[in-house]
Amino acid sequence: MPEYLLLLLLVLPFAGSLAIASLLRTAARTLPSWLAGGVALLATILTASYYPSVTNGKVVRYEIAWLPELGLNFTLRLDGFAWLFTMLVTAIGFLVVLYARYYMSAEDPIPRFFSFLLAFMGAMLGVVLSGNIILLSIFWELTSIFSFLLIGYWYHNANARDGARMALTITGIGGFCLLVGFLLIGHIVGSYDLDRVLASGDIIREHPLYLPALVLILIGALTKSAQFPFHFWLPNAMAAPTPVSAYLHSATMVKAGVFLLVRLWPALSGTFEWFWLVGFAGISTLLLGAYFAIFQRDLKGLLAYSTISHLGLITTLLSLGSPLAAVAAIFHMVNHATFKASLFMAAGIIDHETGTRDMQKLSGLFRYLPYTASLAMVACAAMAGVPLLNGFLSKEMFFAEAVETHADSILDQALPYIATLAGAFSVAYSIRFIHTVFFGPPPTDLPKPHPHEPPRWMRFPVESLVFACLIVGIVPGLSIGPFLHTAVLSVLGPETPYYSLAVWHGFNLPLVMSIVAMLGGAALYFALHNYLARCEDGPPIFRHLRGQRIFERILVTVSWKWARWLETNIGTRRLQPQLRIVAVVAFLAAFLPLHLSGFDAKLPPVRGVDPAFVMLWIIGMLSALAAAFLAKYHRFAALLLIGGSGIVTCVTFAWLSAPDLAITQLLVEIVTTVLLLLGLRWLPKRLDKIDESATFSARLRRLRDFAIAVACGVGMSILAYTVMTLPVPDTIANFFLERAYSEGGGRNVVNVILVDFRGFDTMGEIAVLGIVALTVFALLRRFRPATESIGLPEQQRIQNAYDDAQPERNKGDTVRDYLFVPSVVMQWLFPVVITFAIYLFMRGHDLPGGGFAAGITMAIAFLLQYLAGGTRWAEDRLRILPLRWIAFGLLIAAATGAGSWFFGYPFLTSHSQYLTLPLIGKVPTASALLFDLGVFSLVVGATVLILIAIAHQSIRTYRVKAAPKTEDA
Amino acid sequence: MNLSHHLIIAPILVPLATGALLLLIDERQRTVKALVGLGSTLLLFVVALGLFRFAASIDGPEAAQQGVYLLGNWAAPFGIVLVVDRLSALMLVLTATLAIAALIFALARWHTAGAHFHSLFQFLLMGLNGAFLTGDLFNLFVFFEVMLAASYGLLLHGSGLLRVKAGLHYIAVNLAAALLFLIGVSLIYGVTGTLNMADLAVRVSTVGPEQRMLLEAGAGILGVAFLIKAGMWPLNFWLPPAYTAASAPVAGIFAIMSKVGIYVVLRLSLLVFGHDSSASSGFGLHVLLVGGLATITFGAIGVLASQALGRLAGFSVLVSSGTLLTAIGMGSAGITTGALFYLVSSTLTISAFFMLIELVERGQDAGASVLAVTMEAYGDADPDEEEQEGDLGFAMPGTMAVLGICFAACGILLAGLPPLSGFVAKFAMLSAMLNPIGGDTTATIPGYVWFVVFLVILSGLAALIAMTRSGIRTFWASMEGTEPRVLVIEVAPVFLLIAATLYLTVQAGPVMRFMDDTTRALTTPQQYIEAVFDARRAGVPGTEVQP
Repeated sequence: MPEYLLLLLLVLPFAGSLAIASLLRTAARTLPSWLAGGVALLATILTASYYPSVTNGKVVRYEIAWLPELGLNFTLRLDGFAWLFTMLVTAIGFLVVLYARYYMSAEDPIPRFFSFLLAFMGAMLGVVLSGNIILLSIFWELTSIFSFLLIGYWYHNANARDGARMALTITGIGGFCLLVGFLLIGHIVGSYDLDRVLASGDIIREHPLYLPALVLILIGALTKSAQFPFHFWLPNAMAAPTPVSAYLHSATMVKAGVFLLVRLWPALSGTFEWFWLVGFAGISTLLLGAYFAIFQRDLKGLLAYSTISHLGLITTLLSLGSPLAAVAAIFHMVNHATFKASLFMAAGIIDHETGTRDMQKLSGLFRYLPYTASLAMVACAAMAGVPLLNGFLSKEMFFAEAVETHADSILDQALPYIATLAGAFSVAYSIRFIHTVFFGPPPTDLPKPHPHEPPRWMRFPVESLVFACLIVGIVPGLSIGPFLHTAVLSVLGPETPYYSLAVWHGFNLPLVMSIVAMLGGAALYFALHNYLARCEDGPPIFRHLRGQRIFERILVTVSWKWARWLETNIGTRRLQPQLRIVAVVAFLAAFLPLHLSGFDAKLPPVRGVDPAFVMLWIIGMLSALAAAFLAKYHRFAALLLIGGSGIVTCVTFAWLSAPDLAITQLLVEIVTTVLLLLGLRWLPKRLDKIDESATFSARLRRLRDFAIAVACGVGMSILAYTVMTLPVPDTIANFFLERAYSEGGGRNVVNVILVDFRGFDTMGEIAVLGIVALTVFALLRRFRPATESIGLPEQQRIQNAYDDAQPERNKGDTVRDYLFVPSVVMQWLFPVVITFAIYLFMRGHDLPGGGFAAGITMAIAFLLQYLAGGTRWAEDRLRILPLRWIAFGLLIAAATGAGSWFFGYPFLTSHSQYLTLPLIGKVPTASALLFDLGVFSLVVGATVLILIAIAHQSIRTYRVKAAPKTEDA
Repeated sequence: MNLSHHLIIAPILVPLATGALLLLIDERQRTVKALVGLGSTLLLFVVALGLFRFAASIDGPEAAQQGVYLLGNWAAPFGIVLVVDRLSALMLVLTATLAIAALIFALARWHTAGAHFHSLFQFLLMGLNGAFLTGDLFNLFVFFEVMLAASYGLLLHGSGLLRVKAGLHYIAVNLAAALLFLIGVSLIYGVTGTLNMADLAVRVSTVGPEQRMLLEAGAGILGVAFLIKAGMWPLNFWLPPAYTAASAPVAGIFAIMSKVGIYVVLRLSLLVFGHDSSASSGFGLHVLLVGGLATITFGAIGVLASQALGRLAGFSVLVSSGTLLTAIGMGSAGITTGALFYLVSSTLTISAFFMLIELVERGQDAGASVLAVTMEAYGDADPDEEEQEGDLGFAMPGTMAVLGICFAACGILLAGLPPLSGFVAKFAMLSAMLNPIGGDTTATIPGYVWFVVFLVILSGLAALIAMTRSGIRTFWASMEGTEPRVLVIEVAPVFLLIAATLYLTVQAGPVMRFMDDTTRALTTPQQYIEAVFDARRAGVPGTEVQP
């Protein structure tokens, strides 16, 4: 067989799953089942035909490079053991599909079921076939995910949802642990390749990281195989449709855990830690599972606990670390899969026919379902370990191993007794299954009163499996023998021990144990018989100690209560604490490096400073402090004070010979202050006085905030002063000073920097301005003032009241007239200001000014008109389309920049020369001027757009639906 | 000068010009606006792919120089440079991918929910692309501002009380961050006298001890600004409410905004404080590590404690950021490679998830009613603003099944479960932490690495638990069978992004090799620095060239 067909084997179920999923609900019931059955059958045949390639320890490998740098490749690897398991997965998969075809009712969405089932089969095959441990963990998680979907298939049922979620959570945690464990193995071995790992057993066992790796991998395997103390998810997963249980909880999902233990047996086993960890889990599961199984009322619950117990048996065998025990483990895995799958199916038939799985309701069904009953009885007998059935053989091997001493300890010495006891329990629940369900008086009050034999092909899967139990049980050497040998050889290699599959080994200790278990079990059942017929669900005492409920409670506590508590206590949803933290962190970020390096703060010298300048700054600082103090209580005053400190900044710039900055700062101060003042109209009224009744903690809080503010402010000042007084480094500024005229063509270095050296920054910044304007516009367009701000402002109310009081005045006269003279002046200033703007613009390249300053000036011209005449008056006379100004500004700037492409230069390369115009004289015509025009246009547009957005609020209040007239978009 | 060289600036100019052009188109001509915006975004994607192909082929100084664009034809460090290298090209492609998805999603209904959506969207792209391309610290500030200004507008898009409240918080915090950015840049300029990143990297090693502490103080303040953006605890409390309040397509594109902070931290810490930069080498790495771990913890807790899907997604952003900061803070090349893969994967995931949430919640009464209330109370109810569903697509058949599949995919991605790229990313990082292949197999693993592994795994588990909880509540437990009306063009973007993660998984080998090359280029910044300085000016510009 060619290796690449392994890929087909793996891809086939997934492809089938996709195909079925795409059928949606329109498809008939038959097509999905046929597709699924076909895929499963094909996979079985494909697997079977690989058998000659894996005998005598041969291995088929197929590798596709996936992530070779990290050692993760898509490596498929089929050896004898994997072959045996693949056979189980595909063959039982086929039988389950066949069974499900008849089991699922017409209302169930069939395509979804088969799609998930096939995908699960694919994931399971992936686990079995992976030749790279990381790839294995990938498929491992996939089995968790698809089993979640399968268990939750009937999701309208709360049990199904809870069961699915619990299964996913537990096995998901296990999967994560497994991944880390595998990563550690990779650390130890230096490779994730399975062959390398299996060959490095000695290195792994002697490595200091062996124990953590082992623990993590075991958590993965034991959660999957529902071993104590992770066993509780499995019974809850019984809410799944029975075909799912038959598949997942007999042959596949839960077997993945023990499969992994066998797979890694050569690499990990044989140490003391292994024996204790695996052994403890296995033995306690074996015993507890069997004990719990006796007391279940639900048929599937009984089978679920029995599964747990049998998996515990396998785990126990693997813990012993002897090759013979490993053989028994592998053998029992196969046997358990066959009889347990058939039992689940039988339970499903009973459920299907009677409508209940409650053993206290079921009774005497033999008379209705004789054929199914016979099959179930044989399977049950196999489960109990009755001779001439397959369960007997592997159980005998288990007893034989239990008697042997492997790792001398209490656990080891107790094992024979525990094994016998568990065997007795197993017999007891097997008898209970048969006796209560099939014998006794005819059932009363069944949900479906007339049970009858299921269709021929629904029984076929059960028949096949039971037939297999019989054949293996009677002629093991001829039937399972060679296959088992192939599997064992591939796991144990040269360590493969001699073993015999004969039915009769003579009258030895294991046989005695079997007999004791049989008799003891039967006695136990009949002793408990009456109690079981009436008792509550679950074993005595333990039924109150439910793993499920503990799990749920822990999950809710940790993931909900604690998490919410923590979230509110290490986080905040309020703005002020957040900003406080930002300030503190920023302070620390600057303070710590300085402090650690022994920063020595230098204070500015007092002598030699112009007293006028000092006065100026004292005024500025006082304004700033007062503004901060009043910000909450008197916004208007605070704004004016901010304006005051702004003016001081302007003067400082001028004082320090930066006229460009001074002009720009002044203009910006004017516009922003006016816009803010206009905005004040819509804020709720100020609080009149400081709340004196503040509590102690509030005062403390304010003190703390004050301290933070002082620390940040003083720190910033010191830092700024220190940096500004550093010896001037070799900065790029020198370059600008030297080249501004020679290469930038302008004498005003600031402007040349803005439009040429760093014109790109300017382009970005004007974009920011434009965007902010758009944002303000968009925000205010939907703005609805608070109810307390809707009424007229206090001043207007007083003025109107005055008009009302005077008989000769009409209401509104004062409002119109009180600024009459200033408004005329403002209207007349319009052309003057515009001329000034043009002047600023033209001189910009050589003298203080430029597009930005000109733009703001122009905007002030418009602003004055709005202030002078009011919104309506201004808009009747002026049609400003600010959006176009913005768009043109950006486009001109960008187009100017792109223009240099045509001359083979990069974006924004400038070109300059002087042009002589009549009347005006020499005019600089750098391409940068055009760029500056863009800046100008945008600044005008953006400022006016904000102005309009605010101005229109006052129109809106009167007529709520007023459409903004000047809005050109 | 090669014409294709100008392609480098296209990711900035195309959205700028488109954004401006869109302002000239009447707001009522929605289809035209939509088509122009979409065309520009598609063009951006093509350009980004072109640059990506170029960047992936950079193999020596000559090619690296080709990736440097001298604005205004001024040589570095005097002018502003744009630099395309592997990292910036990768971010461009990622941005364009998210942009296409978010924009298509918005076309179904959201783009009509307020003014100037398309312009703001294009400006946002301009800011993002500029931030990724620039090689100049102040220019980076400018593009941060462009991006933030546009994001303010977009966050408020659609209005509503929640949005305005979260939006104003967002604006306040980000203005504070911008202020810190400016302070930091000024301090660094004051000490080193340069703004060019490559020049800065050179000058850092020559700074004397007196100035060094000032430089570090400046870098610290600058770092705070970036970490606010990246969402590091305790600077990140504003993020989940803001992202949750944003309309779905906006949140979809915001997924990359926090990654800008990460990008800059990664770029600058390796360039300026990389291995051979003398005394300041490795500056702040431990802060990133500790802060990253705290962020993962906080994010994971938030994920668990979230009832609403939106908050869950918001906290997932934090988990993603925390993981990346931690990985960067560990300062090893192998981990950085994995982190880059994780960055791409988690960004795609979160974007898809944000958009999906809106579709999923549309079916639920609570979500639908909130939307309805928003529309009613703040939507102006202009007659021309009524939703025009069905114009651009038809309703999705089997909606719940399709949404369920998408939801499962998102859950798998967030939890880092196989088979999607979330797993590959997590594996790559963990593998590099625990197990440098070919490394010393007997080396002990330091304690903090264990802690990192533990937290990374735990955050995945938190996502798994939270996602199953909400998934079950949404898809399984809701009894009323009202299928939400979802258009194909709303699901398509989610599918697109999930398909991208699938592509990442299948092509994990080549992608990881690319990331590895990226890391190598980042950790040996010499080539970057030389390329910036050696980039040739085109002729000599000035008066002699006639216009």
